[in-house]
Amino acid sequence: MVSGAPSLRSYRLTTLEDDGADFRVRPMLIRAPVLRNERLISDYWQLTLDAPAVADGAQPGQFAMLTIARQDGLTPLLPRPMALCRWDRAAGSIDVVYRVVGEGTAALTTWRSGEQMTTVGPLGTGFKLRAGASTILLLGRGIGTCSLTALALRGVSEGVRVVAVASRRDKQAAAGAALYGGDGSIEIIDVLDTDGSSDPAAVRRELLRRFDVTGPDQIFVCGSERLLRLAADLGDSHGAEVQVSIEAHMACGIGYCHGCSSGAPGLGEEAPLVCTNGPAFRVARGALA
Amino acid sequence: MSVRPDLSLDIGSLHLANPVMPASGCFGPELGDLIDLDRLGALVTKTIFFDRRSGNPADRLTETGGVMLNSVGIPSPGIDGFLTSVLPRYVASSPPTIVSIGGLTIGEYERVAARLDGVSGIAAIEVNISCPNLEAGGLEIGSDPMAVEAVVRSVVARTSVPIIAKLTPNVTSIVEIAQAAEAGGATAVSAINTLLGLGVSLEARRPLLGNGAGGVSGPAIKPVALRMVSEVAQAVRIPVIGVGGIATARDALQFLAVGAAAVQVGTATFTHPDSMLRVIDGIEAWMRERGLHSLGQITATIGKRAPERADVAASALPRIRATALEAPMGHP
Repeated sequence: MVSGAPSLRSYRLTTLEDDGADFRVRPMLIRAPVLRNERLISDYWQLTLDAPAVADGAQPGQFAMLTIARQDGLTPLLPRPMALCRWDRAAGSIDVVYRVVGEGTAALTTWRSGEQMTTVGPLGTGFKLRAGASTILLLGRGIGTCSLTALALRGVSEGVRVVAVASRRDKQAAAGAALYGGDGSIEIIDVLDTDGSSDPAAVRRELLRRFDVTGPDQIFVCGSERLLRLAADLGDSHGAEVQVSIEAHMACGIGYCHGCSSGAPGLGEEAPLVCTNGPAFRVARGALA
Repeated sequence: MSVRPDLSLDIGSLHLANPVMPASGCFGPELGDLIDLDRLGALVTKTIFFDRRSGNPADRLTETGGVMLNSVGIPSPGIDGFLTSVLPRYVASSPPTIVSIGGLTIGEYERVAARLDGVSGIAAIEVNISCPNLEAGGLEIGSDPMAVEAVVRSVVARTSVPIIAKLTPNVTSIVEIAQAAEAGGATAVSAINTLLGLGVSLEARRPLLGNGAGGVSGPAIKPVALRMVSEVAQAVRIPVIGVGGIATARDALQFLAVGAAAVQVGTATFTHPDSMLRVIDGIEAWMRERGLHSLGQITATIGKRAPERADVAASALPRIRATALEAPMGHP
């Protein structure tokens, strides 16, 4: 999800939920046993929950609300929306990857195998992969890459060429190429701040080289305002649809608290809710001023 | 004791199977995907205004220092949208529906109430008086006893269902406001709404919320709410619905013990979506353990009214006092 949603006001976003491409299931409230909760690298952690009810209906780009407070506890008060990074329907498990950035995520590292976590999901309107798309481009930065991994796997399973830019600060940031898995079926462009390769101009040059003949049919972006700008620009020049996953503070995750209004103008009186109308939205053509 | 405790109660013509209901704004029929709504004492809608309105700019809510801070701004589909697309989703559940109404002028409250009158499925109206009064320079209606009495009186005159006035804590004397609501003809009062607060980001050099200030809620405000509910319950003859920081059955029992007839659960539903069900189960278990058979044996057993309660089981009272009293009564 792209943080700093207010700056998205400069983009015209439309909702994807009426496209009817995906079947969205009713969310479930479960106490999900923790299977694993391990540090990947530096301050990046991966949590695996036994949550068949969530895994069964999950779609790429959806999320779950995880209550970090234990069952009889109230701290932290608000659950955290976490992108469903991967899931295994056969095993009934879901994976989320999180970065320790505050008290809530620090508390999340204390969860041990066997403890049961209040979990609600699957939630939200995810990305829409168009039937007939032959090439898709994914632009992910940092932890935002986690919103794109399941979509990449879906694309590969449907025979779509998947090109994924995995942008991160440095090699101590886990949320890069490793999140996509290493079976080689996804063309991963791993870029870093430390060597300048993550600079949008450098990323653009690399992408133009890869797409010199045929451009992507769809572009999906998450985790960076700069990458969103690049995606919108590439979308305009290639005639590709652009979808973005955005992040917001939320309390309920299912649409009644209205805490996560996306602030995107032009869609009626109340702005769309990130939790149900999103978190994935379509970026309108010619969105850049 | 094998007899199942009776958790039911009446607030005017409003009959509740148990004393636990959501706080307005912290509930929607969407929650029915996660929990069995039919187990709740009542359902309470978000505040409805006459016209459609959008909410406030992002960020609308955040967590800071152990509390939730929100300024959602009460987006509303307006009375027409509410009646056609929202209310039917409430009425589909069996508990009585309490409709929260708001207004930016006294006239707006009247118009909303008049449109709700006689609509099937509306069991009561909660009047959210924590709205800025555009006719009084934006001063909260709920902070002016005369405005509160006038609003309540005008709503009562236009409807036949019980009227509950939801009191704001952001006043010098909540007792005075409660008495004004009672004088205006309210069937009950609910207390308290959120406390006004401000969160600040030093790094961004701006408030945490897009609208600036917001309402503080969560377990940290429970002592404030208990004090106010206790004072109000002793000062008015109408029932008081306690709200503010309730997350567990013990919290709810403390409110009942200081004089609340029922309770509302708000922020805790965000933490654990089944909090209300756990509060109901916990109250019942607590009563069973003590051989209590009705809520009346708990209500107002702490505070000035306690000595007047002749019907309190002799064995129950000392244990309630010993286990439920966490904060000293009177002025803190």
